[in-house]
Amino acid sequence: MITVHDIHKAYGAKTVLNNVNACFPRGGLTSLIGPNGAGKTTLLMMIARLMAPGRGEVRLEGRPVTGLPINEYAKRVATLRQSPDFNLRLTVEELVAFGRFPFSRGALTAEDWRLIGEAIDFLSLQPLRHAYLDELSGGQRQMAFLAMTIAQQTDYLLLDEPLNNLDIKHAVQIMRALRRLCDEFGRTVILVVHDINFAASYSDHIVAMKAGAVHCAGSVEQVITQTRLSELYGLDFDISQGPRGLLCNYFNP
Amino acid sequence: MNRVLPRYAVWGVVVVLALVFVFLRSGLDFDYVIPKRLARLAAMVIGGVAIAWSSITFQTLTGNRILTPAIMGYEAVYLLLQALLVLFLGTYSAVLLGVSGNFLLSVLLMLAYSWCIHRGLFRDGKNNVYFLLLVGLVLTMVISTFTQFVQLKVSPGEFSVLQGFSQASFNRAQPAQLLFCGALVAAVCLMGLKALPTLDVLALGRDQAISLGVDYRRNVRLHLGLIAALVAISTSLLGPTAFMGVFVANITYALARTFRHRVTLALGSAIAVGMFIAAQLLVEHVFNYKTTVGILVNLVCGGYFLVLMVRTRGAP
Repeated sequence: MITVHDIHKAYGAKTVLNNVNACFPRGGLTSLIGPNGAGKTTLLMMIARLMAPGRGEVRLEGRPVTGLPINEYAKRVATLRQSPDFNLRLTVEELVAFGRFPFSRGALTAEDWRLIGEAIDFLSLQPLRHAYLDELSGGQRQMAFLAMTIAQQTDYLLLDEPLNNLDIKHAVQIMRALRRLCDEFGRTVILVVHDINFAASYSDHIVAMKAGAVHCAGSVEQVITQTRLSELYGLDFDISQGPRGLLCNYFNP
Repeated sequence: MNRVLPRYAVWGVVVVLALVFVFLRSGLDFDYVIPKRLARLAAMVIGGVAIAWSSITFQTLTGNRILTPAIMGYEAVYLLLQALLVLFLGTYSAVLLGVSGNFLLSVLLMLAYSWCIHRGLFRDGKNNVYFLLLVGLVLTMVISTFTQFVQLKVSPGEFSVLQGFSQASFNRAQPAQLLFCGALVAAVCLMGLKALPTLDVLALGRDQAISLGVDYRRNVRLHLGLIAALVAISTSLLGPTAFMGVFVANITYALARTFRHRVTLALGSAIAVGMFIAAQLLVEHVFNYKTTVGILVNLVCGGYFLVLMVRTRGAP
């Protein structure tokens, strides 16, 4: 379980996070939702230790994360930011192999290669294994980065808007893969997601943020209600219980 | 096979060039000509390795392929020092300090310079490579203006001495310096060798590197320190080489076709050394000292670089 305690962060006079307390239970998929500028990504970056909180602390299984060396932390928690842009010419396999770095420090063992292969197979990237990243579509690229994060074999995965700029097919593929990671492998996934319907269909737990604070948190049924979402986004919601789960309609209020 | 071949071919070419350089029209004079040439060859090897290593790691850290550490103000500091020495001590400065004195002073000053800018920038917890670059660029301009101002104050004779310092040359180096530099470059490279896999990860950018368990701050500091030492050595030994690092790095990427520093650093060193030897051969035997190595290197590199860009435009 990852918990955050009284996190406060300000850029100059602007407060981005104001005494945030939240809890991300182990073994499930937790979505961070909320309008732009609510502080979701900032909170996720603090859990990932890419940014230091002004006050407060993040705890992993009850222990402050700052007590762990960054190399040990990378064996417990893997992070993927929005598909980073770099000018390296890498193949999918070479990228995924980076996921083993926290364990192998660059000298890959047979076991590492097995796990790299597993991560590639898990996302059905086998046909693209030797393709160069700059030759892939946005969706395939995102899958390749996700495979690297999966190959890291951590208990926790933090993903910042993994569905950004993806078509619905790739978005569904990625969400299904994340769901399987939780159900079949007992991993814990925390992601920032903007599509409220994806959050409703795939999450175990939702943390909704607004204006630098937690607006509400709980199970899908507790958070995805007309009143709570209307307060959160300032839009009219029509939530219906369909045969495939909850469906939020906010498109034409 | 096609991917690996150029790497070894370059080394072969370097060895052949080195042999030609040492023995061509030497009359096998082992008392004077050949020892002198070996000293120049050593300067080229040390300088080449330092330039290739510092440029490639610097480009990895900044994630940018058109930068060299020269842009951080090292060469400007070096030239200002030379200008000030000439201004205050006149042409006697050469006699007063001796070549080794000048060399040591330059190295120490450049190391002090990098220590100051790194320390000042890292103290408040900021760690922004681009900010560092901006400061370096602005300082380069400010310091160069000072140098120009000093140049206006000196006599024409002293000015021509200064002019000599602003061009790369292999003749300045003395055996003692070469030994010292060689040992230093070897030490820096040995330290860097251990960090090569980490350097590969750093190329993915700050966030991804931290997520993969790399202590970003510590590693960037380590590599900037190594780069500072290498640039200080190469500049004091050869003089400013300006954009040679950009050419060397980019030609290396095109030939190596891999991101692994284990390959690119070795190949880059070979290319830099080969380029130096080829240019020096031309200066000595074809142009009869009527042109300089710097001009030739820039001409050849620039030309090849253009060809490379046009040819690989489809597959960058």
